[in-house]
Amino acid sequence: MSWDTTRLALRLRWSAAVSAAVGLIAVMLAVGALFPAVGHSIGKLNVPSSVANLLGGGDYGTITGWFRSEIAAIYGPLVIGALAITGASASTAGEEEDRVLGLVLAYPIRRSRLVAAKALAIAGIVLFIAFATWVGLIAGVALGGGGITLAHITGVAIQLAFFGFATGALALAVGAATGRRALATGLAAAVGVTGWLINSFAPLVAGLGWLKYLSPFYYYAGHDPLAHGANVPGLLVLGLLALVLTGVAMVSIERRDLRS
Amino acid sequence: MRLLVDLIKPSSGSAQVLGLDTRSQSLEIRRRIGFLPGDLAMYPKLTGGAMLDYLARLRGGVDSRLRDSLVERFGAELDRPVRQLSTGNRQKIGLVQAFMHEPELLILDEPIAGLDPLVQRSFHALLAEVSREGRTVFLSSHTLSEVERVTGRLAILREGRLVVVDSVENLRKVAVHRMDIEFAAPVDPAEFRALPGVREADATGATMTVGIEGSADAVVKAAARHEVLAIRPREDDLEDIFLRYYRDVQS
Repeated sequence: MSWDTTRLALRLRWSAAVSAAVGLIAVMLAVGALFPAVGHSIGKLNVPSSVANLLGGGDYGTITGWFRSEIAAIYGPLVIGALAITGASASTAGEEEDRVLGLVLAYPIRRSRLVAAKALAIAGIVLFIAFATWVGLIAGVALGGGGITLAHITGVAIQLAFFGFATGALALAVGAATGRRALATGLAAAVGVTGWLINSFAPLVAGLGWLKYLSPFYYYAGHDPLAHGANVPGLLVLGLLALVLTGVAMVSIERRDLRS
Repeated sequence: MRLLVDLIKPSSGSAQVLGLDTRSQSLEIRRRIGFLPGDLAMYPKLTGGAMLDYLARLRGGVDSRLRDSLVERFGAELDRPVRQLSTGNRQKIGLVQAFMHEPELLILDEPIAGLDPLVQRSFHALLAEVSREGRTVFLSSHTLSEVERVTGRLAILREGRLVVVDSVENLRKVAVHRMDIEFAAPVDPAEFRALPGVREADATGATMTVGIEGSADAVVKAAARHEVLAIRPREDDLEDIFLRYYRDVQS
């Protein structure tokens, strides 16, 4: 492991991570503060079930449903996925396209070790965002009058972190295997968004319910961590996916010509 | 050059650097060489100093006195972010990183690109020191005057193929030397064209330009029959060699 490379990758992405974390916490505080005022009236709205599913199952009348639809279903995974994906593709394919790797890899460091070091840095950023989500949820829920246990909040943060590991590792694998930043970012983002749509809509279509098992989103939110806490099988799937994809990244970058 | 540091893989065949295979023993090679890529790029947000620190740590540390002396020598700017540096100033950082661990072998792709003449001069002085210490510098260049000044052995590449490898001295022996002979009065160039070794002779006014292969003896003796004001050798030898190899391959 090249700790210097990990430290440098963290340093280069740190300011983006901190602003994302601050924004995330601010939004959660606002969402929590709004709940006492609008939660009860919005809870009586008759939302079509497809829209409700897209927003994490509707049920705005309870604080769990409120936070699920506002944070857990969209905003949290969006922020953590975006940071993981852009970080992973920029620090592999991005550096290759910018020709920095053409200098760094002339140094005595194995490509696979370099990729592993970058993966560790991205994992660190994902953990940081998950921690910010945890802090924001605790504060936001308290502002909204309480009602979600600490264990369940912790569960969401952990599920979210593993979702970030998996989406980031996908971008890492595509970036390391192809050296194309746009492809890595685009493909991983597409998988994330499609996964979110599949997880929301597939259960509504008869005969397509099984599709949800293909979606990383299902393993993040399928068991509703805000209501039930962390889900170990879901974490195992996401964790394994992240490890396998990181392995793919490490092997595939060794075997090819560096671009540009 | 990129193949020698294992950035790209050979489609066939193999190569050795310092007796080590470029694929299976690349790490050891990269430990022992200094490399300057042709299209040098660094982390735009980092300062030159931070960039050098990171690279030094990838080598497990370097002698900071040596690094500092190189920085001073080239006048490299360490405090500004790389993105704010001009091409020449970035290139200085690139040179420092290539030399800072006293490698046995330096592989430098277009090292003087973007450098001002003063820095070019201190770079060439450094090359001379390095070669006196018995270390090898392998560089590529499109600047023939640079090649002529610093190289012992020279290879000419054309469309990715090696056309010739030889010492500059040997190449010069087979090259056409040109000299300008300034006479007091115009002289017929035909007289010179007939001499042994003369490849070309042309007159502009009273000045004759003669291209000679091999010994200049016959030309000097023929010129001595007239009143000679000056003889000036032209210093474009290497360019001639170069162009000749390019022409030969084309025809």
